[in-house]
Amino acid sequence: MTVPEPEPLLRIEGLTAGYGGAVAVNNLSLSLAAGEAVALLGANGAGKSTLLKAILGLVPLRGGGLWLDGEAITTLAPEKRVRRGLGYVPEGRRVFPGMSVRDNLEVASPLGRAARADDLERVFALFPDLAGKAAERAWRLSGGQQQMLAVGRALMGRPRLLLLDEPSLGLSPKLAGEVFGAVRSIAAAGTTVLVAEQSAARALAATGRAVLMRLGRIVHDGPADKLPEDALREAFLGG
Amino acid sequence: MTTLQLLVNGLALGAAYALVALGFVLVLNATSAVNFAQGDLVTAGGLLAVALAPLIPLPGIALLPVVLVIMAALGLLLALAAYLPLRRSPPVAVFISTIAVGIILQNGASVLFGPEPRAAPPLLSGGTVDLGGLVVAEQSLAIIAVAGLLIAGQQWLFARTQVGRRLRATAQDPEMARACGVPVTAMILVTFALGTAYAGAAGLLLANRYFVTPTAGGDLILKAYIAVTIGGWGSVPGAVVGALLIALFEVGVSSVLSYPVALGLLYAALLVILLARPQGLFGEAARRRA
Repeated sequence: MTVPEPEPLLRIEGLTAGYGGAVAVNNLSLSLAAGEAVALLGANGAGKSTLLKAILGLVPLRGGGLWLDGEAITTLAPEKRVRRGLGYVPEGRRVFPGMSVRDNLEVASPLGRAARADDLERVFALFPDLAGKAAERAWRLSGGQQQMLAVGRALMGRPRLLLLDEPSLGLSPKLAGEVFGAVRSIAAAGTTVLVAEQSAARALAATGRAVLMRLGRIVHDGPADKLPEDALREAFLGG
Repeated sequence: MTTLQLLVNGLALGAAYALVALGFVLVLNATSAVNFAQGDLVTAGGLLAVALAPLIPLPGIALLPVVLVIMAALGLLLALAAYLPLRRSPPVAVFISTIAVGIILQNGASVLFGPEPRAAPPLLSGGTVDLGGLVVAEQSLAIIAVAGLLIAGQQWLFARTQVGRRLRATAQDPEMARACGVPVTAMILVTFALGTAYAGAAGLLLANRYFVTPTAGGDLILKAYIAVTIGGWGSVPGAVVGALLIALFEVGVSSVLSYPVALGLLYAALLVILLARPQGLFGEAARRRA
């Protein structure tokens, strides 16, 4: 007797996307199980950012489809995908600069006042640095604090799948370590995490599975702790 | 007329201008689109008040909620017809479509109301008030109070409510707002409704003392544009302060010289500000937001 495969939390099939004439993600298929933490590795230009944006609906698809928990989301607007359980931490953080830290967080919550306050407390518990800056405008924060704010903002939507794009970019090693510490605890709490990174070591330490991309395709997919060294080299430098 | 009376009159005119400029800058921030119909929407609000007055035989203040609601609906129509179909086009497309809406409003008003100036009823009784020896028009005080309340209402909405947060997020980074689950298109519609409702309110406030003619909108959009330029492109408090400054300048210079001279000097002052401080008086805060 065979047990049917459980429906993955996110299923991507034959996804093709790009800008203008260029194809950045080429006929890519990938499934993420609920509760998985996955590192998406590859050199600059491998298509990681485009893949994350395509999952969220921020770039138009040329082909393929997406299913979240079995429901087709391919034609849904980004805000509707977010309401169905996607969270997004963009490259470069993109906090709302003129809004306070508290407003940056609250705006991303679909819930009523009381539940919003609870979620706010949870984010402040995860990032104590932000709690002391709640009334500060976001542009006044340091890069590391802005990154934490961007992660916290995504958590306010209570995502089932959190997409992070280069969360350690431009941060000191210490701050990058803190951000990945938070990513680990988010994943440990049961949220599925897909984190795109150029610095492989930190991402691999925080995840259980590594997906390597090169020129818009997946070139390796396996456990994070058993990544063959030549696979990483090939993904970054070409074979 | 004493200086204080002039000050009250200037503040009243400025309060009405501030509503126009506020509506203009909210739409500008939410869409990066310059709404050139804003002046003609003020005229439309004024003429709407003129048309409603015989139907609602009460002081002008009673017309305010009706004007706000009908104008908000007109704002939704404006967004659906002149902005949303062109949102992915270059900004100049929306310049032209809103100018076209302005021309339609002007000509529609000419057909319906004729070219002669009309007056809406005063907000209260239209008399004067004696403030310890200073006799001022009740209408001026009522304009200041109504505009002040509407501006405070906008500030409260944006600062304290979840809708306000979503409106601000939409204005600061629409793509990221979507990625945070904010229904950006709905927020843009709300912004147009609010901006147009405030233009209409300004029309009601201005249409008693200053009368309203179908072609008055051109002058008003220029004033709003100058207010936003002086205040700092995109700065909401800057738009309000800019509008107050323009009106005080206009009333002050007119009382000593004449209105045409005041207008000429206003444009000259605008040029000086553009040369000396192109970011506007409050421009720095706006720049940081970019």
